[in-house]
Amino acid sequence: MVVGGGAAGLRAAIAAKQAGAKVALLSKVHPLRTNTALAQGGINAPLGADDSPEAYAGDILAAGDGLCDPAVVQSFALAAADAVMWLERMGTPFNRGADGRFDRRRFGSNSRARSLYVDDRTGHVVMQVLYEQFQRAGIPLFADWFVTSLVIDSARCVGVTALGLRSGTMDGFAARAVILATGGFTRMYLPSTVSMGTTGDGQNLAYQAGVPLMNLEMVQFHPLVYPGGNALMISEAVLAEGGQIVAGGQPIANLAGATRDKICMAIQQAARDGAAVALDLTMIGGQRLRARFPQTVELLRTVAGLDATKDSIPIRPVAHRPVGGIETTIAGQTPMHGLFACGECACNGLNGAGRLAGNILTEAVVFGARAGEAAAAYAKAASAPSFPAERLEEEKKRLEALVSTDKCEDTAGHIHAELGALMDRNAGAIRDAAGLQAARDRIHALKERYARLRVRNQSAIYNYDLVAYLELGSMLNLAEALVVAAAARKESRGAHRRSDFPARDDRTGISHTVVTMVQGAPQADTRAVVAL
Amino acid sequence: MQAKFSVYRKEPGAHSKPGRSTYTVELADDATVMDALLKIRDEQDPTLGFRGSCLHGYCGDCTVRVNGKAAFSCTARVAPLAAKGGEIAVEPIRNMPVVKDLISDWDAFLWEKIDSTKPWMEPKDADGAAEPQIDDKLMARVRQAMSCNYCGLCDEGCTVLPVDFKFVGPAALTKASRFLFDPRDQATAERLRILERPKGMWDCVHCFEASEHCPREIAPTERIVEMRDEAFKRGITNEKVARHHLSFAASVKRSGWLDEGRLAIESEGLTNVSGLMKLLPTAAKAIARGKAPIPYLHPKRPGADRIARIIEKAEAKEK
Amino acid sequence: MKYAFYPGCVSKGGCPELYPSAVRVAAKLGIELEEMKDVACTGAGVLPQYISDPINARTFAKAERMGLPIMTICSTCQGVFGQANLRLQDAEYRARINREYLAEEGLEYKGTTEIKHLLWVVMEDYGADKLKAMVSKPLKGLKVSPFYGCFLRRPPEVVTPTKESNARKTYLEKLIDIVGAELTDISGKGKCCGFPVLTANEESSLGMTAKHTGEAKSKGADCMVTPCPLCHLSLDGNQPRAEQQEGKSIGLPILHMPQFLGLALGFSPAEMYLKRHIVSTMAVESKVNMMT
Repeated sequence: MVVGGGAAGLRAAIAAKQAGAKVALLSKVHPLRTNTALAQGGINAPLGADDSPEAYAGDILAAGDGLCDPAVVQSFALAAADAVMWLERMGTPFNRGADGRFDRRRFGSNSRARSLYVDDRTGHVVMQVLYEQFQRAGIPLFADWFVTSLVIDSARCVGVTALGLRSGTMDGFAARAVILATGGFTRMYLPSTVSMGTTGDGQNLAYQAGVPLMNLEMVQFHPLVYPGGNALMISEAVLAEGGQIVAGGQPIANLAGATRDKICMAIQQAARDGAAVALDLTMIGGQRLRARFPQTVELLRTVAGLDATKDSIPIRPVAHRPVGGIETTIAGQTPMHGLFACGECACNGLNGAGRLAGNILTEAVVFGARAGEAAAAYAKAASAPSFPAERLEEEKKRLEALVSTDKCEDTAGHIHAELGALMDRNAGAIRDAAGLQAARDRIHALKERYARLRVRNQSAIYNYDLVAYLELGSMLNLAEALVVAAAARKESRGAHRRSDFPARDDRTGISHTVVTMVQGAPQADTRAVVAL
Repeated sequence: MQAKFSVYRKEPGAHSKPGRSTYTVELADDATVMDALLKIRDEQDPTLGFRGSCLHGYCGDCTVRVNGKAAFSCTARVAPLAAKGGEIAVEPIRNMPVVKDLISDWDAFLWEKIDSTKPWMEPKDADGAAEPQIDDKLMARVRQAMSCNYCGLCDEGCTVLPVDFKFVGPAALTKASRFLFDPRDQATAERLRILERPKGMWDCVHCFEASEHCPREIAPTERIVEMRDEAFKRGITNEKVARHHLSFAASVKRSGWLDEGRLAIESEGLTNVSGLMKLLPTAAKAIARGKAPIPYLHPKRPGADRIARIIEKAEAKEK
Repeated sequence: MKYAFYPGCVSKGGCPELYPSAVRVAAKLGIELEEMKDVACTGAGVLPQYISDPINARTFAKAERMGLPIMTICSTCQGVFGQANLRLQDAEYRARINREYLAEEGLEYKGTTEIKHLLWVVMEDYGADKLKAMVSKPLKGLKVSPFYGCFLRRPPEVVTPTKESNARKTYLEKLIDIVGAELTDISGKGKCCGFPVLTANEESSLGMTAKHTGEAKSKGADCMVTPCPLCHLSLDGNQPRAEQQEGKSIGLPILHMPQFLGLALGFSPAEMYLKRHIVSTMAVESKVNMMT
């Protein structure tokens, strides 16, 4: 059973089916509505004549700032080209040059132009291609189903319980293997660039089952976000094509080829110095802008009321993607039998302390396929799962108990708003001990308020009040774990920046931060980085 | 700012009657309709049902009608609407079945229809490792069709669906059309054969409502017409439609204009006795009123030969 | 005001009442028509573009040579012409069509031909006020539903490319007002009459016929007016079959736009060939005859 219908989940399901397993996919939104469409700019693959898996691996290691697992990086770099070519074969209409060959963009700290792209809609199109192949494989789809718990029997994951939003009924799904592919968690930050449902439900399910979460403190902030409305992200591809970041009207120096976190730091610094920071795309030219970035131009117009061909766009760094997540092996296996994870919810040592720009979609297809194959192999060898019959009833009762029409002034939305502002302020691009401790205390208070909340919508069908409640629970748990992890890492490395420990400390810092739920609370530990 | 909303409500179930709920809500100046709905559900009415995902206008999940105009609730800004005073009306997209409140039944009118068209690539070269060279102009046309975010507006505007809900609809047809330009696909002929069946592409009346409704300039109507032209070129079309087209073209070639009587007969087929019999009542009435063009005795227009030459040339070129 | 008159096929074929009534009305208004005889059917959206664009380019070239704008009396002709003309504005495409198809006949289309339906001619070139002054028999009390025909309303880049041309979406309602009749508005006025799908799906086609005529009838309309003879064939010609399919009685007379205008200009129902219709126009005729 695959949980989550984005790029990684779809790829895992297809691979598992092709490996001979009986597969089903469950997703709380339809696969064509997932956060995968957020990945606009491109997808990395070392296909150029001037490129190689070695060069690619080198760039990944550099962006990972010392925490990458070199074996994972090497394996990934060798597999990436084929994985992306598979997407091409299956129908992705990558932009091509006059010679009919792939055109490539150069993102962030990539040493070469290696991102294939589809206009400024790469994720949106790749998502469609994956969904098409998913349909072709004839895999049953349960869209608008929300997984409420993992079912564990004798330390083995044997399935899930899930709420069908359309029918309003709960069901149990027994499975020899469960693959979590539920995406990121940065909706715990407000503002954030991500979809409403990017609330880390998969990570929370694993965490509550005692599975460790790795490198949670590593959160990538996207530098080019228009903060108005719901925060509109602008692809870094615009920088690759001539766009400039200006502070007080002057371009900020030394940003070409910089990593995402370095750009965020520069913007944050400029903002702290009191300058108004903006993105200037006017030099790209109206015609080129409209041709190369049609969606960007359209959304800036509709969301921000700005004309990207004439106006400069106010920007600030905004929480974007997690680098860390559910601890897994290179094959996507978690420490719990029968439980796998892939995509943005998982952490297998590839990205270390920072993800190379343009890698997110490549990861989804490489490790999505790997997890699917591994889960299929596991399922083949595993015994039939014994789904405890009473679990479904217990879960139904648990959810029923959440519903109450008693008056309550507090709401999930209010708690979420406070959590979001807190995380943005205290666990943002730059952190410090006092802020993180204050965040921890505050989250504790928010969790107490959450415990007193009730779901007030009693109707069963499409009860998004209940969904919002459950999602908030995920975010609170993960936020707590994140600030604990951030407090534990007393250095600055990759995406984790501390003003009280501004330097990298290779004496103590070369280890993964691992957070496990122990008696209901996050406990931080370290895990050695696997040397080559 | 303060804004007042009048939102369409409907309980699930075929027999529940729709109604309205009004809400007054305090919002930030740059708030969207989605922000308003979220706040209403959170603070005032937890039973309010609406959809949403990406929050930035690109996933197509939150399509609604705001004051009668199609919009994504997540990008529709409240300020200009509230400035007009009065209530802001929010409704689900029209003509489509509603599950609850603003939640349309996407399965019934979109996902299932798309599923029925074999909407996936069957690659000619599944295992090749070499980078293929493909003209980007072809890829650009594929990209155009794939910029669709399944917002459902073309299906909403369709004039056929309200009369025949089994029609596969412009969204599904547009998606299918993207394979026409893709040289990597080997299932185009098969797909066209699926789509030329009843309720498929020949049920489209090319009224251009789909194109007028599409917010992304994909021009679904034009895509469907292209697909039909392609099907026709390959000889993949249902027999009656094929007879109709061939008779039409033959008539214009012969005389420069349309012999309607002959067209009616030849569309049914000269040996299709039952089909021809069905024409009799209308034909009889028409004859009685003096408005039946006499088939076969159809005067040739001047210039018919020149016109025939052009048609023959065009047909030869397309081959 | 002089036009290259393009009557199309149906106005002389399946709807022979349309051609003479249009000619009579034009003459009465002083609109000079020079009929184009040596030109092909537009293709009506049935012939594929690779055939219809060349034969329509030929028609445009001939009108250009005549130095006159084209006037149509059929929404479908208007639509097909308009869409083809828009494509032929692309210089490269036009050059190719000229080279491959028209040059042989010594023709060349330069892209300048304007095409207008009679409805647009009277509302735009003739003028609403001038038209109103010509109304000698206001059709007072006659309840009329408009039915445009899709191609007279869409696609927007062809029909309403400018802000001013947006008014085209309400010309029928304005005409109804000008002739002194009463508007019975229907939601289906801009929708499809069902004609294009008659071959592929008769049930769907007749369903549309019944839907729109039924709506007008239920709202109390005495008749419907349409500027498209193909719509007329569907709404009038197929009305009995639609009634049979849907199991309901409709009996709504359908008038061609020139007939409707012609009655207000003082022509008799006979002069407008109302007897040619499948659905009897007796009720309309009686009402009109009783007007002064």
